[in-house]
Amino acid sequence: MADGGGKPLQSAMKMAKQAIQLEGADRQQEAYCQYLRTINYISHILLQEETQGEVERMLRVAEQCLDRAKSFIGKRYVHPVNPVLHNASCSSADQSEAEPGPKAGDSTSGAEGQVDASSPFGLSDDGGQPSSFPPPDVFQRQQTEASHDCRRKTLTPVEEASRQNQKLQASYEARVARLAPGQASQKTSLTLSLQRQMMENLIIARARQDALQRKVEERRQRLQDEANRRFAASGALTAEEQEQRLLYARVLEYELDHDWPKQWRTNIKKNPDASLVLDLLSYLLRSDHPLVELLRKHQFRIYNQLYPIITQSLPQSLPQSLPQSLPQSLPQSPALPLRSSRSNHVRLSPERNPTRTSSSLDSEDAAQRDDSFEDLEHFLSQLDSAPRGGLQAELTFDPSVELEQLELRALKEHLKAIVRDVHGAIDQLLSLCLLSFDCLNTAAYKDLSLGCIEEAFFTPLWSPLLALFRRVLREREQLFQRNMTLYCSTSPAEVGVPLKLFPQDPGTLQGSYPYEVAVQELKLLVEDRCPQRKLDCVVRTLRLICGCAEDYRNQQGGGASRAAAIGADDLLPILSFVLLRCQCPQLLSECAALEEFIHESFLIGEEGYCLTSLQSALAYVESLPARADLADPE
Amino acid sequence: MATAGAAGTSGRTYSFKVVLLGEGCVGKTSLVLRYCENKFNDKHITTLQASFLTKKLNITGKRVNLAIWDTAGQERFHALGPIYYRDSNGAILVYDITDEDSFEKVKNWVKELRKMLGNEICLCIVGNKIDLDKDRHVSVEDAESYAESVGAKHYHTSAKLNKGIEELFLDLCKRMMETAQAEERAKGNGASQSASNRRGVQIVDDEPQATPAGGCCSSG
Repeated sequence: MADGGGKPLQSAMKMAKQAIQLEGADRQQEAYCQYLRTINYISHILLQEETQGEVERMLRVAEQCLDRAKSFIGKRYVHPVNPVLHNASCSSADQSEAEPGPKAGDSTSGAEGQVDASSPFGLSDDGGQPSSFPPPDVFQRQQTEASHDCRRKTLTPVEEASRQNQKLQASYEARVARLAPGQASQKTSLTLSLQRQMMENLIIARARQDALQRKVEERRQRLQDEANRRFAASGALTAEEQEQRLLYARVLEYELDHDWPKQWRTNIKKNPDASLVLDLLSYLLRSDHPLVELLRKHQFRIYNQLYPIITQSLPQSLPQSLPQSLPQSLPQSPALPLRSSRSNHVRLSPERNPTRTSSSLDSEDAAQRDDSFEDLEHFLSQLDSAPRGGLQAELTFDPSVELEQLELRALKEHLKAIVRDVHGAIDQLLSLCLLSFDCLNTAAYKDLSLGCIEEAFFTPLWSPLLALFRRVLREREQLFQRNMTLYCSTSPAEVGVPLKLFPQDPGTLQGSYPYEVAVQELKLLVEDRCPQRKLDCVVRTLRLICGCAEDYRNQQGGGASRAAAIGADDLLPILSFVLLRCQCPQLLSECAALEEFIHESFLIGEEGYCLTSLQSALAYVESLPARADLADPE
Repeated sequence: MATAGAAGTSGRTYSFKVVLLGEGCVGKTSLVLRYCENKFNDKHITTLQASFLTKKLNITGKRVNLAIWDTAGQERFHALGPIYYRDSNGAILVYDITDEDSFEKVKNWVKELRKMLGNEICLCIVGNKIDLDKDRHVSVEDAESYAESVGAKHYHTSAKLNKGIEELFLDLCKRMMETAQAEERAKGNGASQSASNRRGVQIVDDEPQATPAGGCCSSG
């Protein structure tokens, strides 16, 4: 596999140079972060592998970066970027902030402290995993390390010969060392014979390698023909089909060298059974099959696209307090109409902005919108919260807002492209999988295959993908976070849960609060790395809610009559309550990402219903007024 | 749009999504529970109780899987209503015959649905609680003529007396099957090629419907 980004030392130097440039341009904050990132990268590399000879130079680069980073401690807090601290007493801020110092461990969060400390939109995950993303070449190395054991590669003839020559050299040196000082002629002859042997070894090896190469070429051609025959039906080839043929030829070639695919195939034919199919899939995904190579290639490519976007430090013009960002966030639709396959007029983004100053993204379908559904309540609640923010926005208006909008647009485009890419990659992987093992090509096994492929595909990519979603949805997340804070101790009744569906007497809950099990379950969602598992978590949460609701009602002697079963009218208020208690702002982006990545066939069933309900509740929590008294539930 | 994607891809089994709309106390949960309980007793009640229900049917030799999505009647949850409706094959809009407001709400939803999903969604307008006919506030004529004007069918039900419910769902299923079949025919036999582009297929022929009053569903 190709090395991701040149030699580590060069990459490190490049990173350091960027930092110096940033510092030169007086972008202190970014420069500081970049220095730390460089140090981080270097220690990453040094921990990972034995870099011959470069260790010292790498460490020197790190040392210099560390020196530069230290020099920031004094000045970064008096930088004009942070007007608030200007007014406050600088020295005390200095001390409290500088004391921990830029330790390697918390480097990123410390450096981006302005943004991260208040953390509604910091990119660090709340799930407790490392907040910085490894550079793409490290990512790639981790990818291959994961399956190192099964990559016991056989040596090519030339490699084998050079290994032999090393041995020869070693024994030669041993013999020379044993020679008495006077035996110079013997030494010459030993040297000569060594050289001759080594030369011969190499020549033989080269000849063998050439022969092998020719054979491989011939075989490859033959297999390519075979692959072409299999796809023969259609006339003109698209680039996609061409690629698929090549891939299939690779699979055929692989199977000539490996027996296991055939064995699995006969096993499954003999005993078609879902658990056997799952075994095959997990074996396949841990092997060095061309499918796995393709998987890695796609993952690496997507990570490579993501990395520069998600590691870019946030622009300094970011709104840092909520009131400022509020008026900009309102015109944003609550759900991005990202999915291109959705029909145009299924709008995911109802217009909630009463002033109709929709951003240009929304304006095209604004015309289609009907007033009849405009929610008076929303209208009023937003009027309530808008003036304060609106005034401030006018006072503080500056071109950076424009810039921000532009940047957001660009980010959205990136996101769209990456989502499309991910779908393309998974489609290609699935079809190669089904081509390689046609025994999997039944409705049920296809789903299993897709599930396994998705799990392998998303596990290393979810965090960076989510980081991108969080960036794009930052303003909504801020709003969501604000409301979660404002309403964290709200009672179920205040969000419209009927009295019969939660215990009135707090004593019956023994120190807990209603629906706590559902809250605990939902909190687990961020731990999983695979969309399907996350979706299962959403379903479990909703089931728990229904279970709790039924218990509470029975406790109050409501009787278990069927007619009183929980419907959406009850479910959504409870779900909103659960969300408020969950205190997990990234759920918003998690759901948006799930919606993009979940296989369509799940969207019609229970899973789809649960995800839709959760999104609906999220939108409701976002729309809560800034005042602490809630609008009338009805 | 999604109709063909949902139906008919795997053998002869149709999968239909039906959304259930109606104000808080019109009895939509009782209606749907009654329907799902009746024939197959409790096992069809999922763990999500009445909010999401499934039912398997066999209609003229064709298998139909019905997924019934309840929606919240409260206004404050309507912001994301459209994500509930999308890809629906049918909608059941319930009002209470003794409550004129609930009928007005139904009219709003009809507009919304037609706008979102065009004419491919089969609409059923349902006047529930006919056991309370003496308190009726929505006249039969008004309701039926309104339904006809928007290409919907009108039904009278009583969840309490279990009246009209079976007919309602059976009729709806038949109409959804017809719509799906018509769409398959319109698409020709291109379906065999679309194996791998599971997400790409739906946007193509998706022009907004300009005439919401047209009635593709009135044939049922």
